[in-house]
Amino acid sequence: MGKYLKHPLGQAGVVLFLAYLLFDFGIAYIPPLFGIASAPIPNSVLLQYLITVSVGILIWVSDNEARWAEFKEPMHRVMVDPDLKTARNSLMVLIPILVALMTFSQVRPTVAAPTTLRSIHPAPPGRIDFQGTTLELGSLQNPLRSRGSMEEHYEEGKRVYYENCIACHGDGLDGQGHYAHAFSPVPVSFQDIGTIAQLTESYVFWRVAKGGPGLPNEGAPWNSAMPAWEDFLTQDEIWSVIIFLYEQAGHEPRTFEEEGGEGEVE
Amino acid sequence: MMAVMTRWWAVAVWFAAASAALASGSLSAQDGDALGQVTYERWCAGCHGLDGTGDGPGAGYMLPRPRDFTQALYQIRTTASGDLPTDDDILAIIDRGMPGTTMPGWEALLSNDEREALVQYLKTFSRFFSADEIPQPLEFSRATRSNADVLAEGERLFREVADCAACHGDGGRGDGESSPALVDDGDFPIPAADLTENWLFNGGGEAEDIYRRLLTGLDGTPMPSLADVITAGVITDEQLWAIAHYVRSLSPDNPPGITEVVRGVLFEDAPLPSSVDDEAWDEIEGAYLPLAGQIIVMPRWFHPRVDGVWVQAAHDGETVAVRVSWSDPNNSPDPEWADWKSQVIALMQPKEGDPPDEGPTPDQLVVQFPMQMPEGMERPFFLRGDNRRPVYIWQWQSDRDGALEGEARGIGTEAFLSGGQDLTVDASHADGQWQVMFTRPLVTEDENDLDFVIGEAIPMALFAWDGDNGESGTRGAVSSWYFLFLEEATPATVFVAPALAMILTAALGFLVVGRAQKRERQSGKIKSETPNS
Ligand code: HEC
Ligand code: HEC
Ligand code: HEC
Repeated sequence: MGKYLKHPLGQAGVVLFLAYLLFDFGIAYIPPLFGIASAPIPNSVLLQYLITVSVGILIWVSDNEARWAEFKEPMHRVMVDPDLKTARNSLMVLIPILVALMTFSQVRPTVAAPTTLRSIHPAPPGRIDFQGTTLELGSLQNPLRSRGSMEEHYEEGKRVYYENCIACHGDGLDGQGHYAHAFSPVPVSFQDIGTIAQLTESYVFWRVAKGGPGLPNEGAPWNSAMPAWEDFLTQDEIWSVIIFLYEQAGHEPRTFEEEGGEGEVE
Repeated sequence: MMAVMTRWWAVAVWFAAASAALASGSLSAQDGDALGQVTYERWCAGCHGLDGTGDGPGAGYMLPRPRDFTQALYQIRTTASGDLPTDDDILAIIDRGMPGTTMPGWEALLSNDEREALVQYLKTFSRFFSADEIPQPLEFSRATRSNADVLAEGERLFREVADCAACHGDGGRGDGESSPALVDDGDFPIPAADLTENWLFNGGGEAEDIYRRLLTGLDGTPMPSLADVITAGVITDEQLWAIAHYVRSLSPDNPPGITEVVRGVLFEDAPLPSSVDDEAWDEIEGAYLPLAGQIIVMPRWFHPRVDGVWVQAAHDGETVAVRVSWSDPNNSPDPEWADWKSQVIALMQPKEGDPPDEGPTPDQLVVQFPMQMPEGMERPFFLRGDNRRPVYIWQWQSDRDGALEGEARGIGTEAFLSGGQDLTVDASHADGQWQVMFTRPLVTEDENDLDFVIGEAIPMALFAWDGDNGESGTRGAVSSWYFLFLEEATPATVFVAPALAMILTAALGFLVVGRAQKRERQSGKIKSETPNS
């Protein structure tokens, strides 16, 4: 064992294997141990990473003449040593078969869903019609923030949320309501900093009022289960549920001054 | 502003708690209560109510209703039937939630301190908990091994001895003869759990979990504890394990994952399945598609019976056959379930729209496709299409022979073809399960339907209604878009590229080895050898 580990070819193999473990499993499973969300990386990215690591290894072994010679030596021996004829012949059969299988798995007809590219936060329209009144989204402010008691708006928003939104967005605001798994795209997690935390309240108002059907085509409106709440709720109810969302998830709405482009592709 | 206020409050509470702890040298139960109360009011009161009676604003939109903590009835315990739960029991439920209900798990969202404080706070709602009596968990025996004999014994006990089938039905789908009349301690109708979907069991779906539920019972529900039956010597502990293993075997080994694509298997030589119970179906892998209540347009429905359907598909190049299977305890309309129906309607009547149909309502199934194969990624709205892009639907219902083809441009605009039907249907209801098989030629003369294409993902959505659960019209279960993919025959050209790659690699191998050996010979190290002799 030790003998193989001292050999540069053995070392290269070990490094490559460890890198593979780290990329394929480590990235997905180590961060969660520290409470950071993570997901496995796709195979194409894995392949790229491993190629990068291999190039690194090659640079390292070829950096030193002696090491390079030692590195090549076993491979060379397999090719020329009369004693290794069986190994050589089996490799010369096995490798082409392996290549053939890999190619087959690439070209074989697959049963797959078409990928949909969907803009999660497409640009909103300039103005919307809400139950007969026209609202200018560019300058729309949450009127409840300058009126009445925040405590009451929060309680009212909570009522609206529990009566209407929990089934999808979840009472933890984590997008894990008991119906969430039946919809694709999945309901948004408001805990995630990529959602309401980077939106203005007027943008959120538009999304709540017009729902999935109100999205422009780049938002794939035909797939979204998000209801158009203008059919169910009054303007004040929507503003109060927005106050509830920010308060309960512990985020601050973005304000117009800091607003940049709200556009991003999933 | 609001955020600041609540945070201030929490800080103040903590400060008080911490100084009290310093003064007394340890945290007393009361200080934990403050954190427990803050956490409860923020995250639990929306369902369980501020006073713990289970009447928060969300409560009317779910069945089972949120638990009333003043009754101290806990379903998932390690203690004997009728006993209070241990603190660990309550904590475990808060952590994991109760699958199959709206009660979520909180492990990821709340800290350890918060969840432990919640346990203590929940107990303050009921006078049954006291500091002197600490509930003791039962001793559970180790799991026995399962095998074919054990399962057969379990099945016999399930049907004949322990009387499980009276509520759960012979196939375990919740269709036993007592099932229409079951109510829980709050007088709410409660279905006997569908034992073929163990991922929705309230207390976990493995044999160990089931064994524990059988020993402790689910207090507050009609589901009994078998502890007395064991004490009386009617069945042994080993036999209880046999029942648990049998119940476990009714569900798939792993909960169905999310499949986006239903594969339409190509029947090249064999004939397509000809009836709904044709054995050929057993060979075809099914995809499980979860369904949810229709809560997107008015009037909404928050209590669908059908939480998912299994879909199988096959084609032979001429005709496509699709079989959909789902659990439903009865064939509606059925007078035995009339009471059940009116109770559910009364409890789940949403505040909008006309009251649901009180007259006889059938079970229904709709399979939906776009009217035309979409170009690019655009497709009709998943909920029955829209004005610009209509959908093409197959509609079946339990009180009518045959199925209808039709089109819709939005929910409620369904229009059915009167003649020239190309669709045939075969349906059966047995052991609490509907199975409905549709067949149609891939291509028809008709302009107003979809021509099925082979080798492309065809958008497909499903909708299901249980009439005797109060469902009809927009009150039912819906899915989002999935895909039906009719397999192509593997074209011969697919083998060309791998063969080429193989030949090239082999040639390259010969070349490299040959050259290496030549060089070696020239330098005189080895005598002579051909690369591959
Ligand atoms: C039937 C399920 C469903 C219900 C009920 C529902 N939503 Fe949604 N919601 C979704 C889905 C799915 C998305 C993601 C797709 C999209 O953006 O349209 C979404 C997206 C959103 C977004 C956009 C977030 C972003 O980052 O762009 C907001 C805001 C939102 N929902 C608020 C609400 C509120 C408030 C309610 C209750 C009044 C509610 N939703 C009820 C399914 C639902
Ligand atoms: C979306 C509504 C909802 C929210 C929010 C909710 N629950 Fe529940 N909870 C339920 C329902 C519904 C049940 C009853 C399920 C049943 O009877 O099968 C339940 C049952 C329970 C039970 C009884 C468990 C048993 O063994 O019988 C406990 C304990 C509980 N909830 C604690 C909590 C705590 C603590 C919180 C807040 C962190 C919380 N719940 C938040 C809906 C909710
Ligand atoms: C009187 C009717 C009745 C009888 C008899 C009965 N059950 Fe149940 N069972 C129920 C009901 C109702 C539920 C659903 C409880 C709930 O949803 O909270 C249930 C739930 C269950 C569950 C799911 C537990 C969970 O964690 O959610 C299992 C497993 C089960 N029963 C097995 C059995 C077995 C095995 C027997 C026979 C020994 C049996 N039942 C006898 C009515 C009954």
